[in-house]
Amino acid sequence: MKVLAACGSGMGSSQIIKMKITNVFKKLDIPLEIHHCAVSEAKTLAPSYDVVVCSNSLLDVFKNVDQSKTKIIGLKNLLSEKEIEEKVREIVLGE
Amino acid sequence: MELLISVWTFFQVNILTQPAFFLGIIVFVGYLLLGRPVYDALAGFIKATVGYLVLNVAAGGLVGNFRPILAGLKERFNLSAVVIDPYFGQTAAQQAIEGAGRSFSLMVIVLLIAFMVNIVLVIFRKYTKVRTVFITGHIMVQQSSTALWLVLFAFPELQDAGVIVMLGLLLGTYWSVFSNLTVEATQNLTEGGGFAIGHQQMFGVWLTDKVAGKFSKNSKKLEDITLPGFLSIFKESVVSTSILMFLFFGIIMGILGKDLMMTIDATYTGERNYIFYILEKSLYFAVYLQILQLGVRMFVSELTESFQGISNKLLPGSMPAIDCAATYGFGPGNAVTFGFLFGALGQFLAIIGLVVFKSPVLVITGFVPVFFDNATFAVYANHKGGMKAAMIIPFISGVIQVIGGGLAAYLFQLSQFGGWHGNFDWDTLWLGYGVIMKYGGYAGVAALVIGMLLIPQLQYRKNKKHYFMIAEDYEQYKEEIEAENQTEFSTEAA
Repeated sequence: MKVLAACGSGMGSSQIIKMKITNVFKKLDIPLEIHHCAVSEAKTLAPSYDVVVCSNSLLDVFKNVDQSKTKIIGLKNLLSEKEIEEKVREIVLGE
Repeated sequence: MELLISVWTFFQVNILTQPAFFLGIIVFVGYLLLGRPVYDALAGFIKATVGYLVLNVAAGGLVGNFRPILAGLKERFNLSAVVIDPYFGQTAAQQAIEGAGRSFSLMVIVLLIAFMVNIVLVIFRKYTKVRTVFITGHIMVQQSSTALWLVLFAFPELQDAGVIVMLGLLLGTYWSVFSNLTVEATQNLTEGGGFAIGHQQMFGVWLTDKVAGKFSKNSKKLEDITLPGFLSIFKESVVSTSILMFLFFGIIMGILGKDLMMTIDATYTGERNYIFYILEKSLYFAVYLQILQLGVRMFVSELTESFQGISNKLLPGSMPAIDCAATYGFGPGNAVTFGFLFGALGQFLAIIGLVVFKSPVLVITGFVPVFFDNATFAVYANHKGGMKAAMIIPFISGVIQVIGGGLAAYLFQLSQFGGWHGNFDWDTLWLGYGVIMKYGGYAGVAALVIGMLLIPQLQYRKNKKHYFMIAEDYEQYKEEIEAENQTEFSTEAA
């Protein structure tokens, strides 16, 4: 699964999200290809990814992305693997 | 013996003093120490080195793009222009450092030492009372650069070894103590999110949290307000930077006039419309900032992986101090925009004030401080004090950013290089630190380090029972606080 972690600057938060997602996907046993970048690039790159993950506060940047092709996940707590796992199960795996 | 000396000289000339390769080697060694395979370490070396070289290309472009404008201002009005932004500040500091004949690889060594100081303070947290590890890589790079210049500025005769030790101690202590200061406010805001702030406005966050409650009377909360939709475009740094730069440089270059710019900038021959020339110059700032961020992102990814690995191995149970943007999810969606708007307002008014009062330094708003610092303040302010606090505090912060930033650029002789760090802590705390270092010498530095180390001790004294619990087990902390409140009620009722 191709995942993109996005944040305002492309450096601070997205790196943390990237690390946490890697842990969660390892736990869920899903093969993962993950990148991180700034939110402006993520908007353009989104269609070539299966999932985009960012902070809740940045969700409106992706409002025009086709969500049937690319799932967008907004996080309240970027450090919470629990929240990431819940949302991945719900939004990506459709459980 | 001869062989040893020539090997060392080779190492010194070709690697130690070449920041790009030095960074690459550190990453390479770091990966090996973490037990990663050699091919991963090689990839890390390449990414770190190339990332740094990309940064150099961008820094050169930024300086080159800015130069005609700086020259024009100097010639016509005898003004220096300073953009308050950590990327501009980092580039300016790098120029100043290399101009003074020192190598920028010092910055990398300083960063490592400061990081180790932080780790040591946390290992002995029972005594030092420091609970947090600062791991926001790109911030560490920016701050090491500016702080390195401050030390070289204050102690120009000091040898490299002395600079490294002094700055490592000062910066490492700042990272530890001030990220530790944000624990209570952040755990409160995030209801046990499990992180602290490791960024550029930690002192500001602590102040905001203390003061915001005073505005809460009769104040609405931001959750109840809706902002116009078009403001969402300002969340993207490319858009914001382009618009800000066009605004500022449009005014500046409009005043300087087409003829002056033609004489200064050989590439502008006057055939093109002046407005399009201004537009192009403004957009090129966004271009070079993007490239700069790309470069930083490349080598910081490598550094951060090793830092995470090291801190996980050495410091289980410590609290990570991370990017301030991690708090944005915990406030209402408009808090970020609100903070940005009022911060920008504060900055613009302060800039006009500086022009009116004939300041020798013209301050120009940079995206990162006006957005990130003030957005963060708005989130914390709204939490404790509602809308009024979320307007007033970022506004005042904007004013302080401009005045403190302009003053710092002027005092530390960076105005000729066109940039100052600009984030809140660096327009307040570090402005003071720079002055103390310059006039207080080594004793001043010692006083600063000791003073900072006292802060966690004072925090601990105020809250001995829950000091470590609030960081390590928030659920239990909440239970105990509620239980205490219950007992208070029952004793009062009785």
